[in-house]
Amino acid sequence: MSTKKSHPIVFVVDDDESVRSSLGFLLKSMGLNHQAFAAAGDFLAAYDPAQHGCLVLDVRMPGMSGIELQQQLNLRGAIIPVIFITGHGDIPMAVEAMQHGAHEFLEKPFRDQDLIDRIQHALAKDAKTRAALEEHDRIRARLASLTPREREVLALMVQGKPNKIMAYELDVSQRTLEIHRARVMEKSGAASLAELVRMTMDVSTST
Amino acid sequence: MLQVSRLATIGEMAAGVAHELNQPLTAIANYAQACDRLLGRPGADLEDVRKALREIADQAVRAGEILRRLRSLARSQPMKRERTDINVIIEQIRDLVLADARVHRAYAKLELAPGLPSVSIDAVQLQHVILNLVRNGLEASSITASDPRELRLGTGLSTDGDVEIMICDNGPGLSAQALERLFDPFFSTKAEGTGLGLAISNTVVRAHGGSLGHRPNLPHGACFYIRLPAEPAGG
Repeated sequence: MSTKKSHPIVFVVDDDESVRSSLGFLLKSMGLNHQAFAAAGDFLAAYDPAQHGCLVLDVRMPGMSGIELQQQLNLRGAIIPVIFITGHGDIPMAVEAMQHGAHEFLEKPFRDQDLIDRIQHALAKDAKTRAALEEHDRIRARLASLTPREREVLALMVQGKPNKIMAYELDVSQRTLEIHRARVMEKSGAASLAELVRMTMDVSTST
Repeated sequence: MLQVSRLATIGEMAAGVAHELNQPLTAIANYAQACDRLLGRPGADLEDVRKALREIADQAVRAGEILRRLRSLARSQPMKRERTDINVIIEQIRDLVLADARVHRAYAKLELAPGLPSVSIDAVQLQHVILNLVRNGLEASSITASDPRELRLGTGLSTDGDVEIMICDNGPGLSAQALERLFDPFFSTKAEGTGLGLAISNTVVRAHGGSLGHRPNLPHGACFYIRLPAEPAGG
């Protein structure tokens, strides 16, 4: 199941039938999987966060606009990269989308090479973000397996405190502290103290 | 004065038309580039290529039609009345209405009643009036926060047997102040309005022996209607 969802899909949302089907045809000729929607709401209803891919989105549409869809996705914490396609005179909207973290822009009509470059860039970004999130999940799961005492030791370790000081602060023998310390390294899977520091920082910044 | 206002409206419409033209142009570019890719591969499916070529032709025609309608609107002529089916002249500006609605991010609905009697009108002048009322309606719909913005353009028969064109929006409706001075030249509720649109529209409709009126739309908004005397059947 997860292997299927990791096969990326290029989602297209454009209210104009001719733009939508021509874009689908072009993506097919590029050998890319795609799925097209006529309205932002339809995409949102079908949106599956586990599905790898990117979104090619028309800025200006009746009903929910491309910008509004982007905001909805942001609210849901969606990571799907968005490539906006803009028509004539949509520059102010494009700027607004950029401020909300739009990934890329393409002005209609566009060169197929520009489209494929942006899609590949977006798909690479999606894969990278997903890999980082999975890594965070793994680290978090490992750190969650620490006992409360081991977590105290971890907190002191990442501050760079020597064993002797840690033993004193936690009021345990140095021998006991060394056992805790070994457990922390073993459970976290960190090869060095430096890696352990990086892991805890990654996890704390991503939440 | 009609000339000035018409050109102003066309200027505003041009932005919408430029945006609308981009759609068929984008489709054409997409199909052509896809064909190029398909043909670059051994064993290309020619049926796919043919399908795309047909789409290219269709979209080029669509782009041409959008331009043709803009041109016919821009042509200036003295009033030239002809026996006309009102639905036909509305169909001619359908793309412009939809383009303008798109610019205002509104849904436009055309509800044309079939089998209406003919009217004797200057089509271009009447189209100008209708587009003006459509523009007003779209701007009104954009004021209220309630989504979706909606504009209805319909035709029908009044109880007196007149041919009626209705333009209804779901904006805030007309204020008491606006109601009082609605057709006064240079009165406008819009920051950038010339205050000429409704005044000229009223003049044009009266010159056709018709009337321009309005009523509230429910639950909110305004409906403007143009009533034109029906031509006797036959002839």
